[in-house]
Amino acid sequence: MMLRERRMYSAAIAAMVVSSLFLYLAPLIPQVIIDGVLLPSDDGPTRFEDFLLSLMGGVDFLQANLWWPAVLILILSAIAGLFAYFRGVYAAKATERIVRRMRDDLYRRLQRVPLHFIDRSETGDLIQRCTSDVDTVRIFLSAQVVEMGRAVAMLLVPLPIMLMVSPLMTLASVVLLPFIVLFAVFYFKRIRATFLKVDEAEADLTSKIQENVTGIRVVRAFAQQQQESEGFDHRNGRHRDLDNNLYRVLAWFWSTSDLMCMAQKLIVLGIGLALLFTGRLEPGALFFFLTAVGMFVWPIRQMGRILAELGKAQVALGRIQYVLGQPEETDGEDGLVLDAASLTGSIVFREVTFSHEEASPVLEEVSFEIPGGSTIALVGPSGCGKSTIINLLMRFYEPDKGKIHLDGIDLSSIDRMSLRSNLSVVLQEPFLYSRSLKDNLAMGRSDADEREIMEAASVASIHDSIMGFDDGYSTVVGERGMTLSGGQRQRMSIARALLRDPAILVLDDALSAVDTNTERAILSALKQRHHRHTTIIVAHRLTTVMQADEILVLDQGRIIDRGTHDELLQRTGLYRRLWDIQHEGMDAISGVHGEAGA
Amino acid sequence: MSQWTPHVEDVLGTVDRGLWRRIARHAKRYKKYAVAMMLCGVVLAIVESLMPLMSGLLIDAAIEKHVGRITWYSTVYVLLSIGFCVLVWCFIIAAGRLATGMAHDLRQASFTRLQQLEFSYFDQQPAGWIVSRLTSDCRKVSSLMPWFLLDLCWGATFLLFTSIAMLSIDWVLGLSVMVVVPFLVIITVFFERKLLRSSRLMRKTNSELTAVYNEGITGVRTTKSLTRECENIDEFQGVSRAMHDYSMLNAIQTSIFVPIVTSIGGVGVGIALAVGGVQIEDGYGLTIGMLIAFMQYAVLFAMPVRELAARLSDLKGAQAAAERIEGLLKREPGIRDSQQVLARIQAAAEVGSSSRAIDGGASRIETIEFKNVSFWYKPEEPVLRDFDLSIASGETIALVGPTGGGKTTIASLLCRFYEPCEGGVYLNDVEYRDRSLHWLQSSLGIVLQQPHLFSGSIAKNIAYSCPGASHEQIEAAARTVEAHDFIMQMPDGYESEVGEGGNRLSVGQRQLISLARAIIADPQVFVMDEATSSVDTETEHHIQRGIEAVLANRIAVVIAHRLSTVRSADRILVIEQGRIVEQGSHQELLEANGAYMGLYKRHFAGPS
Repeated sequence: MMLRERRMYSAAIAAMVVSSLFLYLAPLIPQVIIDGVLLPSDDGPTRFEDFLLSLMGGVDFLQANLWWPAVLILILSAIAGLFAYFRGVYAAKATERIVRRMRDDLYRRLQRVPLHFIDRSETGDLIQRCTSDVDTVRIFLSAQVVEMGRAVAMLLVPLPIMLMVSPLMTLASVVLLPFIVLFAVFYFKRIRATFLKVDEAEADLTSKIQENVTGIRVVRAFAQQQQESEGFDHRNGRHRDLDNNLYRVLAWFWSTSDLMCMAQKLIVLGIGLALLFTGRLEPGALFFFLTAVGMFVWPIRQMGRILAELGKAQVALGRIQYVLGQPEETDGEDGLVLDAASLTGSIVFREVTFSHEEASPVLEEVSFEIPGGSTIALVGPSGCGKSTIINLLMRFYEPDKGKIHLDGIDLSSIDRMSLRSNLSVVLQEPFLYSRSLKDNLAMGRSDADEREIMEAASVASIHDSIMGFDDGYSTVVGERGMTLSGGQRQRMSIARALLRDPAILVLDDALSAVDTNTERAILSALKQRHHRHTTIIVAHRLTTVMQADEILVLDQGRIIDRGTHDELLQRTGLYRRLWDIQHEGMDAISGVHGEAGA
Repeated sequence: MSQWTPHVEDVLGTVDRGLWRRIARHAKRYKKYAVAMMLCGVVLAIVESLMPLMSGLLIDAAIEKHVGRITWYSTVYVLLSIGFCVLVWCFIIAAGRLATGMAHDLRQASFTRLQQLEFSYFDQQPAGWIVSRLTSDCRKVSSLMPWFLLDLCWGATFLLFTSIAMLSIDWVLGLSVMVVVPFLVIITVFFERKLLRSSRLMRKTNSELTAVYNEGITGVRTTKSLTRECENIDEFQGVSRAMHDYSMLNAIQTSIFVPIVTSIGGVGVGIALAVGGVQIEDGYGLTIGMLIAFMQYAVLFAMPVRELAARLSDLKGAQAAAERIEGLLKREPGIRDSQQVLARIQAAAEVGSSSRAIDGGASRIETIEFKNVSFWYKPEEPVLRDFDLSIASGETIALVGPTGGGKTTIASLLCRFYEPCEGGVYLNDVEYRDRSLHWLQSSLGIVLQQPHLFSGSIAKNIAYSCPGASHEQIEAAARTVEAHDFIMQMPDGYESEVGEGGNRLSVGQRQLISLARAIIADPQVFVMDEATSSVDTETEHHIQRGIEAVLANRIAVVIAHRLSTVRSADRILVIEQGRIVEQGSHQELLEANGAYMGLYKRHFAGPS
């Protein structure tokens, strides 16, 4: 919390005290009017009443002008209202500022943490920390803290007046309060488990619905609607019963604590009446006490509940702090900024070893060189380390051992942002932002004009599909828009990468969902841009990579073979085996072979 | 930094009573709790409006020192207090029954409807949108219902009884206090509208905030690749600033509204004191106790007005949710069993023959025939035109051709996920719309391109269609698709969790599991759409023989981009623009040197 917010909170608290003071002054007026003017007691007014009466112009004046106390009541309530307004606004200002900063910090941190933090975390959990945990803190700051302060102010402010009027009645007015608070605290602590159970049942129900909807094709494919419904009914019923149970538990709480509050008022009324009866209390004073109890007993009860739930805000704050405490991807101050124009795009891996925590190495002493402007391909079975090479090149991860050089510069000395803006990666499962197709394409280069965008889309063979949509390039995609097929997403993402015209282009199994025809068109278009880019292609389908200047064959984290397509086919290695599998049956028609090879 | 502005439709509209009546119909079973709720409201209002009167009477009795009346009134007061607490207990219990019951029934009806709706519904709506219909919308609508009923009855009765009490004690004083009511109503309605609008803005912005966080987290790899961190942060700050501004707007409105209402209460008290005081001075017969009662009434008067206005804006606020639920519930499933088929299923159930299908028809699928099938999403852009295809018993058909040619549509029509717009699909010469949908779909083994797994263990996923499968059966299915080895390498073997949607496994592994899932069901017909597209070459090669064994003697329709996958099919169809341009065996087609040859050449030659 910063100084400004602290000041705002102080202002809010001050306004709250003033406001409750005036709130109590208002009922004081009818009290003295009744006791001093309308129904003067035999012993004459008390000193306090006398003081108040003379303040308002004296008994005689008031007897003739009863509108005056009425106007006074209005003025006092208006002042109380004004300060209540200040309290509300200052408290909200302070809270909303803190919360806004918290949200911004969370988002900024999530954008800047190293990738492996996000990879390790569950998306849903992170989002919960950013949304509902922040809300919990917000409610605590804006409502609960203020409510508690109000309860205390409402109780403490009238205390001097009450004591002045009647100490005995004052005691009678607060005698049950500790029990009311303690009851709320203990009850809510005890039923926390009940709340948790409902939350869990609801989460369970929600994930069942979620799974059914996202997997609806599988459900239908296996005609499992009946079983799905049974599973759902079970959870739905369980949630209803637990929720209903929560209502029951709360019914006991509210009725019992209402009874205690009522009892508090009845005690005041009973003792007040007894005193009134014996002439030791005047009716107006009784009215004042009744009003006062009515004003502080409910906030006090609320306080008990809030006290019981303080722990929640603490837990939420801890969960938020966990995210904010994650280290950011740091670049040294002297991170080198690459000059895009003069970059040749030559890459050298020298004995690079990498492993995820404690596991066996994903890459072991991998070395290779890619001359600037050439095309290199990585092939090998799943899990052989292809994608890790890309991750290291992007500096998503850092090698455990060995060095990577770009244009002869050690990668770790290059500014991350500068490095990545000279690299374009197309992923196997590309991500599209929830906005228009045009915006998505221009994402990496905001100054691209319409012509350039369409050109890139044509090269990636997505232009025609886009024109087929009702809104063309303005079609909104992503979670809040239209769903594109895997192949369409891949082509979108290729177009997006091309538009950036980077020194290094990486296709990480980026054509797997694109059919052979389209793939061919894309690859030949890419080829025309040859020598402008260093291109790295990762693929399963060997026809995708056969044109590469060099092909690296990886297995279990090592480069087991390298060479051009023709060289590799000569040898009897993994590459040859994969090729044979993919082209089995080809030799059956030798004529075809010859024709196709030509 | 650009500020995000949500689109909020006009919220000043009225309450759609017809809509709420239709929604309330889903709570018919809980009518007694609704009635109890309303009764509680009425009685509670009577109790509460009597309390100030009782305290006034008590004070008067005390001033007159009349012991008998004091005892009598205090007894009534105590009883009223206890009654109040009992009523509180009653209405919370009733509210619980009503709210949870109604939410349960609405969810159940919605879920059942979702199981019947055709795929085009799921194609049009994002999954998250559909899920919130059943979660937050149902909760919102049903948790509001009991409190609306309660406060409606409570507010109306309370206003009525308070007015009666005041007017019958002293009508002049009563009318003077009631002067404030019109102001109270105007101000309350004015502010409730403002508050409704600002809270709606807050809600919309909040869900935008969640969406932006979600995008920021799930798209982090792309964001980092595109070095868009700074732009993203800027955009986020636009939304978080909007959230701040709308929250402040709402807080300021509340901070003005509540004090104004309190001050109006102060006006009432003032009027009561001034007018009543004069009457007491003039010896009009008004007692001190009654004056005190009046002043309490003047303060209490604002309560029902506020509660009623608040509940009405709750209702308006939840109207959109109610509309969405109704929209889902009244949507008729486009694909379902016809009346005749349902009648036949009924009849067959009575006979109970195990050799026939549930609709009494033949249970084996011998032949499948597409006759003059046309299909389109938009009439001007047909996907299939006059498509004919007949598949003989035990035949494996492979569909190849460019993206968008209609291969997946053919498979979807066969599975009756969609129905032909023209023409028909015949199973053993019976049009499939004359057969049971459930029977057809449970006879098919469908493996989709997007392999969706359900969270739970691998074993549970493989046994999805037959929960009673033994471990041996599960393992056999896994071995057929070469999944056994990687499963055994996982920490808990077959009991390893696959994660939400299967996200702990690679796409290729997910495809293998979903293949095993289809195999264990032992279906009559296999439909595989790009079932192994992400499986690596060697693994695919290894499972080829296993799959061939599974497909032998069954009808199978296989779609693939990889020609190596389709080579062994009995018949290969080359589909382009919704038509079969060529068909025959691998060998025949190569010799024909046509479209298939073209595909094959390009596939083999790669880019040239």
